[in-house]
Amino acid sequence: MPDALRRLLGTPQGQLGSLIVFAAVLLAILGPALAPYNPEQFHITARFQGPSSRFWLGTDQFGRDLLSRIMMGARSTLPLALLATVIGTGLGAVIGTLSAFLGGRADEAIMRTVDAVMAIPGLLFALLIVTSLGANAFNAILAIGIAFAPSMVRITRSVALAVRSQDYVKAAIARGESSRFIVVREMLPNVIAPIVVETTIRVSFAVMTLATLSFLGLGAQPPSSEWGLMVSEARSYLFRNPWMMVWPGLAIAMIAVGFNLLGDGLRDALNPRTSE
Amino acid sequence: MTAVPILSVENYSLDYAGRAGAARVLQRVNLAITRGEVLGLVGESGSGKTSLAYAIMRYLPPNAREPGGAIRLLGEDLRTKSASEIDSIRGRRISMVFQDPSTSLNPTLTLGEQISEVLVRHKGLSQREAYEHGKALLHKVGLKDPAAMMRRYPHEASGGEKQRVTIASAFAAEPDCILFDEPTTALDVITSRQIIDLFRELQAETGVASLYISHDLALVSRIADRVAVIHRGCIVEEDPAAEVFRSPREDYTKALIASVPRPDRRLVTGEPPAGATPLLAADQVTVRYGRSSFIDSILRRPAAGTIGAREISLDVKPSEILGIVGESGSGKSTLARALVGLNPFEGTIRFGERRLASAADMDQDYRRSIQIIFQHPDSSLNPRQTIGDILLRPLRLYGVKDNGSERDMVAKLLEEVQLPADFAKRYPHQLSGGQKQRVAIARAFASRPNLVICDEITSSLDVSIQAQIIELLLSLRERFGTAYFFITHDLNLVRQIAHRIAVMYRGDLVEVADVDTLTRAPSHPYTRALLDAVPTPVG
Repeated sequence: MPDALRRLLGTPQGQLGSLIVFAAVLLAILGPALAPYNPEQFHITARFQGPSSRFWLGTDQFGRDLLSRIMMGARSTLPLALLATVIGTGLGAVIGTLSAFLGGRADEAIMRTVDAVMAIPGLLFALLIVTSLGANAFNAILAIGIAFAPSMVRITRSVALAVRSQDYVKAAIARGESSRFIVVREMLPNVIAPIVVETTIRVSFAVMTLATLSFLGLGAQPPSSEWGLMVSEARSYLFRNPWMMVWPGLAIAMIAVGFNLLGDGLRDALNPRTSE
Repeated sequence: MTAVPILSVENYSLDYAGRAGAARVLQRVNLAITRGEVLGLVGESGSGKTSLAYAIMRYLPPNAREPGGAIRLLGEDLRTKSASEIDSIRGRRISMVFQDPSTSLNPTLTLGEQISEVLVRHKGLSQREAYEHGKALLHKVGLKDPAAMMRRYPHEASGGEKQRVTIASAFAAEPDCILFDEPTTALDVITSRQIIDLFRELQAETGVASLYISHDLALVSRIADRVAVIHRGCIVEEDPAAEVFRSPREDYTKALIASVPRPDRRLVTGEPPAGATPLLAADQVTVRYGRSSFIDSILRRPAAGTIGAREISLDVKPSEILGIVGESGSGKSTLARALVGLNPFEGTIRFGERRLASAADMDQDYRRSIQIIFQHPDSSLNPRQTIGDILLRPLRLYGVKDNGSERDMVAKLLEEVQLPADFAKRYPHQLSGGQKQRVAIARAFASRPNLVICDEITSSLDVSIQAQIIELLLSLRERFGTAYFFITHDLNLVRQIAHRIAVMYRGDLVEVADVDTLTRAPSHPYTRALLDAVPTPVG
């Protein structure tokens, strides 16, 4: 693994991606300590302000400091996005590997069901789940996780199928190994790399879907400073203070780009062919 | 023979620039081919022979550097030509035949379109003329129905037919020089013999200067006028073809020739005990591919599967080496996989006193006694496990006990296959192909099996490595009395080591006989054709 890390930091996209993600994680951990103001403190005399020396990024309709709100927002956005992705990929990886290993009719049944779920647009599916279970952050995570699972199943299954046809799996079968040993010890370590890569890229989608749900009023609820929610609230005041929309939007974009670059870098770093 | 060579390579060197500096691929290479001559270029993988061909074709990767030398076609240095000049030379004055016809033809164009394109481009014919001329060319390379062949797509033609088409298009523009890069390596023994006959015929007729690149010294010594041996980018020796085998000068050439399998030089001494009870016997074993579909089961019709191996009855005696030969698709690997429970089969397998009717009957004792080694060591060793873990697994699985710790046992296994003990910490990708195959052998021998199935285990290796692996297998047999099921397409090799040889053809076992009988009086016409097709070394 140290080798893979060195290769990751050897590519420009890996460097930049790791840097952005590392900064975002730092922000999520240290956000409250670094924030200049309490994110929920009103400054009635200083509403709708642009960037200034007092409020670096400006203030919103209640005079709350935007910088502090964005720093706090990292705390709610990032873990939520990560959790949603982990649920989605975990579910998808297990179902996908199982499907590839079982083969035959079971494989057909699983994959056709997955196809059917895939036919529903992701955001619509998430909306459906949230509206039927109730609008809060946890249900939003669950919705995104379930909406992500089908494509993850496909990716994992295709990789697992390729691994299954390798001679080392045949050698293990010929040796008389148990199915559990073959799946866990022989197949899974070789499937994991593409899953890790896909997970990192998916995080950026999760950030955006989460922001979209919050924007539609179905994810995080006020007074949370979740970035999507901030964009949604800023919409009403677009012409009075455009900065209210610019900063959280930029933050979402940065995170998405960061995880995408990290995923790209990981794909190169974890590819066994480049490890020669 | 005129004095001016068609193609000459003079003091040519080639580097590939990499992160760790430039790697020298070719070192001051000198070659010359005159009109009507065939120069054979022989070398092992990584020796630079294909790089040389690409350098002559001016088809080098961007990181290639050429520190010196010249490549002259009729005196003109190709290195100084511009890209557009090269375009008009390539295909018209110098052309190339690649190793694998299934990848060198475009799958979306018909064979007719591909061959007439050459004629339109380089001979200035109209589409219609080119098509007619193309048909004549296909007839010339011995294709039965040229008109039908012109309309076919590459996937509708066999490997041999496709290679005939690529040869036809290489000769189409009547070039001065043609490079052949292992044109028969991807083909079956009999087909490649036919392609070689075709090559000789066209060569004699057109008098084109040919550079024939191959790893197969026996083959090259039969078709070339002169043979150049390349080793690590240097031409180590160049001789008239007949003399390379009889009187090699350089040590490397001598070693190379010593590794070429020669059927007249037996490597196995002593016969297996005659009349012994078979260790393992296949009794009417049939393997079918493809499962019955849903519609098949509704209509109650038999599954439209293909048969991989048909009613094979075969036995192997303790410490016997049984060779199995046949072309690709003949069912030899299919049979091997059925014997280790990887393919479902019909019929029975007898193992000592026991009879097995399916893979479910194979218990741990059977699995322990019958081990298999696969063709590609890259794929048979798990890339995420260390060599130590890989070797430890069968020891733990079968509960093999020894007086030492696990680490000692792994070290002992590595020592048995002549690898250093510290390899246990390495990963497969840090090893060479030959070393990986040794690890695979060590894994098979960890459980002290009675029979080891070797499925083409040397065919992805160079001849010198192949000779070492064979030597290792024979010494292990001497030590443990193991029997081998030796599957190969190399008849010369199997005649060196096997006690008996089984010949398979399209899923059928056509003949089983001991080596001498098979060589002197083959009973089946296919066996005879196979024996005739194999090039045996000159001298």
